[in-house]
Amino acid sequence: MRPFAYSHPPTLDAALGAIGPAARPLAGGTDLLTLIKADLAAPESLVNVKALLPGGVQAKPEGLEIGALATLAELEEHPVVRDGYSALAQAASLAATPQIRNLATVGGNLLQRPRCWYFRNSRIDCWLKGGEDCPARDGENRNHAILGGGPCYAVHPSDIVPALMAFDAAVRIVGPAGERWVELADFMQAPREERRTETVLASNELVAGLRLPPHPEPTGSVYLKAMERKTWAFALAGVACALRFSGRKIAHARIILSGVAPVPWRATAAERELLGREAGEDRFAAAAEAALQEAQPLRHNGYKVPLQKALVRRALKTLTERQCS
Amino acid sequence: MTTRLEGAEKVTGRARYSSDVRLPGQLYAKILRSPHPHAKVLRIDTKRAEALAGVHAVVSSTNGPDISWHDDTRLLDTTVRYIGDEVAAVAAESEEVAQDALRLIQVEYLPLAFDVTEGKPAATKVQERGNVLTGLREADAVVEASYTTATALHNALEPHGCTAVWEGDELTLYESTQGIFAVRDEVAQKLGLSKEKVRVITPHMGGGFGAKQIAWKHSVIAALLAKRAGRPVQLMLDRTEENLASGNRNATRQHLRLGAKRDGTLTAIDARITFQSGAYQVGGEDSDLTGTYMTLYRCGNVRAEQTAMKLNAGPSVAFRGPGYVEANFALESAMDELARKLGMDPIALRLRNYAERDQSEDKPYTSAQSLRRCIERVADVFDWQRRRKGIGFAAHDWMAGGGWPPATVEVTMREGRAEVLVGVQDIGTGPRTALAQIAAEILGIPLERVTVHLGDTKPGLYGPTSSGSTTLATIGPALVEAARKAKKSGYGRAERGKNPQDKSIRTCGAQCAEVEVDMATGEVTVLRVVAAHDCGRIINPLLVESQVIGGVTQGVGFALAEERVMDERLGESLNANLEEYKVATVRDIPQIVNATESMPDLEANTLGTKGIGEPPIIPTAAAIANAIFDATGVRIRDLPITRDKLLVAMNSGQKSTQRLTLVSHP
Repeated sequence: MRPFAYSHPPTLDAALGAIGPAARPLAGGTDLLTLIKADLAAPESLVNVKALLPGGVQAKPEGLEIGALATLAELEEHPVVRDGYSALAQAASLAATPQIRNLATVGGNLLQRPRCWYFRNSRIDCWLKGGEDCPARDGENRNHAILGGGPCYAVHPSDIVPALMAFDAAVRIVGPAGERWVELADFMQAPREERRTETVLASNELVAGLRLPPHPEPTGSVYLKAMERKTWAFALAGVACALRFSGRKIAHARIILSGVAPVPWRATAAERELLGREAGEDRFAAAAEAALQEAQPLRHNGYKVPLQKALVRRALKTLTERQCS
Repeated sequence: MTTRLEGAEKVTGRARYSSDVRLPGQLYAKILRSPHPHAKVLRIDTKRAEALAGVHAVVSSTNGPDISWHDDTRLLDTTVRYIGDEVAAVAAESEEVAQDALRLIQVEYLPLAFDVTEGKPAATKVQERGNVLTGLREADAVVEASYTTATALHNALEPHGCTAVWEGDELTLYESTQGIFAVRDEVAQKLGLSKEKVRVITPHMGGGFGAKQIAWKHSVIAALLAKRAGRPVQLMLDRTEENLASGNRNATRQHLRLGAKRDGTLTAIDARITFQSGAYQVGGEDSDLTGTYMTLYRCGNVRAEQTAMKLNAGPSVAFRGPGYVEANFALESAMDELARKLGMDPIALRLRNYAERDQSEDKPYTSAQSLRRCIERVADVFDWQRRRKGIGFAAHDWMAGGGWPPATVEVTMREGRAEVLVGVQDIGTGPRTALAQIAAEILGIPLERVTVHLGDTKPGLYGPTSSGSTTLATIGPALVEAARKAKKSGYGRAERGKNPQDKSIRTCGAQCAEVEVDMATGEVTVLRVVAAHDCGRIINPLLVESQVIGGVTQGVGFALAEERVMDERLGESLNANLEEYKVATVRDIPQIVNATESMPDLEANTLGTKGIGEPPIIPTAAAIANAIFDATGVRIRDLPITRDKLLVAMNSGQKSTQRLTLVSHP
């Protein structure tokens, strides 16, 4: 950790004027402080925004509004989230530990950096940190991407982002020029040459919150996550799935994969296999195949393909049984 | 039930650990470590660090005394041998200033070729009796397979560290150690002091698991910095340093051949083993991988060969049941494979080859039937005969636990109270409590009128290092004698007598595990582990159960998740933290049933007690691996048994149809 200045501006406008590439906003701090301690980030100053952004979860006619400062613990426990957005409550409950969930904010969760063990080691000069190449591609890559990899093969660590994407969430961004809305699916972008981060947020902007549009009832949803141990681990593979039926036929489907790509991966090919079709084991298997069709495993992560397929099949089966029995 | 005497002190935060020490003028130190797996240090410039406000002392190979370390290495060497090797150190007014100062030290390295995977053979040890080739020829069934175990990291809650303070030419170390006398003697030798000039104090410690049974470099470095600064210096390692440079359980590769007659009688045991000992070999208990092959089963033709491999990674050191944990996984997996090949009940196969004598020492055991009793007990409590999917068994022995004399104990009566003085430390297993119970019983006074003083070398009463699960069996019998004397005259002093010469003392036990495997996702859930171990007379059942729970818990981690991951191209450890190095969490821990019975071993010592600290971790991994095979038909011979291995094996049609055979036992 290197020395840094600390400020707590009185207003959001003042905070927006203060932040930039070397002045980073501080909310829960559960990722930023670990980056600073590991010497992966060395901001000149930290700008406290804990009192300046909205928090909480509110059910409104225009949808579910989640403030940037809402904690993962709030998502996990909120009755409206638990009832109407089960995948989101489950994803929150499967993230990290209770202590971290009490501090970690939704806004920060969207912006957290990957847990790739090459990225997280300050001695290793990886592509994501501005280096030439990705050491994981031909290295110890059991935890790495099987979809959409390259030049970075780190997987996105969030559990809640896939669940939020399954509900077509949009992100409210505030910046010097005012506010703008971006679909979460567009907000999350795999890093590329000129922008080696996982989102389109500019360094002088803040995430203010999210809105999940109202969804017709009953839309069932589930989040499944495979870990290296029972708790306190990032996903080896995971799936957020939302389904709505019309009789036995699938009227609406969202399948978002976690732990297998640089940003949460919407499996549109799998959704197409389901739409307008009758639910059943064959359909689930076809969807699982389609979801992993483009998978390109590296040397040590081939196991993620059968694992991810199994989770997709299981998610679909679980939701079908829940809604059609 | 008698609970830990220091329990309230610990849970209320009143117990003082090494990092709680605050002395007037105390400084804080940090160590600069090598970023190269192998390199020459060409030049070190510490001027800018020394000039930083708040910095009081800097040591490096350029400006420090030349002190020899293990093998042909130096304390602050001009050749660094692994990432994390010590290069220089700073003492400053805060840890933050010390950290800033480290960044100002300029070091010029010349990188050298390195190897973090295979290594070079350093030392070979062979144990042999009979002729394994003859034995294999006589066999009706042979199992031949290779097994590997991963590098495991101790990760005690409290890291290594100390506070060093000088008064004239006398050094006091408040040290987190499981060997106060070992640290005293080694540090004195390194600093060229007589032993009496060094005092080591350890009132409480947050675990060691073997990694704190020797003096490490930080203690000598802290002493040097404190001398130079003329102020006390505290040097506690952080979690990364713990994972890089404070010892580990050596990774092993074990190639086994077992031969047996149709009725299960073993005709040959052959083991060829290599293990990774790291950049240099440190002291402490050896990792004896050959031991259990020579002793656990009755067999006339046995050969076990182990070769230590040197490589550019942190040195290995004893870790709870060193050698036995790794070897037990291979031997007890192979015995399970043999049982299935023979169509025998795995437990019946073990009992068929029951050893009543120590075949290495050629002596009978002091309690020759105790392992049989543990096996039968665990089978009974587990309900082994009730057929269900996913059950596994493993037995074990352990070469120690019977006490390692010498030791001296003093008991003094003052106004109806007893003061017990011993030279051991509490690694966390609770000897204060067990020793107080012994003294109270012999003296016929209530427990609260006994005070046990331990963890200080100053009184000069020698006690052994907390290793080999020997503390209670070493001190206990001497305490009985000292307390008897004190009861008569108000003061008693006794030496621990020698162990019997004509018999061999061991500890042993058996565990059964029940697991559930999700065949689609490869998720393993350990449902239940039942453990029965021979620890002689049980003095305190709660403390014994605590060790069983702790050992099985670490065993679950070793079986399913714990593994240091190295990048062979970079020489980097990729998971030197508690996020990526996966120890078992409370959610991973199964129901642990402690079925251990008290069985006084009066031939071992007058108190009949033996150790329990290490044994419970030894058979857990094999019992779980065998249960996983039973559940899935897939044999994973490489620890840890992670989803990637299970899923690849299950999806590649490696399933075996070998059934588990169960027969009734007496």
